[in-house]
Amino acid sequence: MGSRFRRARARAAAESGFSLVELLIAMFILLLVVTSLTAVLVGASHAQLDADTRFQAQLTDRTGLDKIRREIHCATAVTDTNGNSLTAGTAYTAITVTLPGACPTASGGVTTYSTWCTSASTLTTGDYALYRVTSTALPRPTCGTAGKVKWDDYLQTSTPFCLPSSGVACSGVLKPTSSLPLLHVTLPVNLTGPAAVSGSYNLVDDIALRNGARS
Amino acid sequence: MTDAPVTPRTSAEDGFTLIEVMLALVVLSVGVLALVAAYSSGYVALRHATRVSSATVLADSQMERYRARQYASIALNTSCGASCAEDSTYTGDAAYSSTAQVTGCATTDRTCLPTQTLTGPDGQSYRVDSFIAYSCVSGTLSTSPSVSCSSGQNPVKLVTVVVRRSTGGDWVREQSNFNSLVGT
Repeated sequence: MGSRFRRARARAAAESGFSLVELLIAMFILLLVVTSLTAVLVGASHAQLDADTRFQAQLTDRTGLDKIRREIHCATAVTDTNGNSLTAGTAYTAITVTLPGACPTASGGVTTYSTWCTSASTLTTGDYALYRVTSTALPRPTCGTAGKVKWDDYLQTSTPFCLPSSGVACSGVLKPTSSLPLLHVTLPVNLTGPAAVSGSYNLVDDIALRNGARS
Repeated sequence: MTDAPVTPRTSAEDGFTLIEVMLALVVLSVGVLALVAAYSSGYVALRHATRVSSATVLADSQMERYRARQYASIALNTSCGASCAEDSTYTGDAAYSSTAQVTGCATTDRTCLPTQTLTGPDGQSYRVDSFIAYSCVSGTLSTSPSVSCSSGQNPVKLVTVVVRRSTGGDWVREQSNFNSLVGT
């Protein structure tokens, strides 16, 4: 009891610290640990950023498709930007949706021409972005018209729109008989560019032109 | 100074006991395991969300096809071959009823197939089951019913689209009514 107490007091009063070599070794080990931890943190932060961008790209892709779907369901006509009927089986870079004033996305309750078009992406070389631009007067707007709003980016195709007929297919999709006209919309996104073999998100839908005739 | 000589620390041989080391290891491994569990549950949740959103896209797309069809041609081809035949998973579904099933679709259109495997936007395969049954609703809409409903009721076609996992269980399930006045 007495000796243990004395030894503890002696230790507390002792002034001998760590030697320089001990300190250097400790600091070296600390450096190793901190370096590897930093590497892990940087890697995780990159992965997080990548996942976040990917998630956003896919989300805007789905939102864009939803918006197109709602407009086409309400539309009285889907044409090219000159007002001509779409040629079956041909892929288009731009379509114009004619919205009567009662449609929720028509501006100010009057007939609205809403053009959906693609042009080169401002984020990645080789990719495309999807824009929507509207006008309440003729001529129908194009991607060159001022005031276009971007709805989707990182697109891997410049021609997302195609109208199949019962004889001419769009990417293998035919219009069934006794069916409304369908607009085949392809919106593939990939953050790593057109040459990438993985990481693709291929959003495809056949949207019914609900005010068309079933034939 | 003091009567007991101070032992130089570097030459001391008393370290930690085995029990102490093992306790420290146990505490450390509990911490590490908790971290790993957090990571893996995050990964599983993310994967599940991806699959559900892809399955929803497919179910929406299938339902859109039914919206495009004429009322009379909303039907299934129940003898379309082995790839789309009704198996026990199909007939075991709550939406399936052999007496109410609307059949007679002749073509190979996607809307005619009771069961099919489609590729989702994420590149994964999904099994898409479609069910069509007559249902009776109140109101006056029918012109040519193929099924009898009680007085004051009219038949509609009830379409159910189920996108399911290969191992059973649903990713997503959608249902919509189609009446004979719309889509003639």
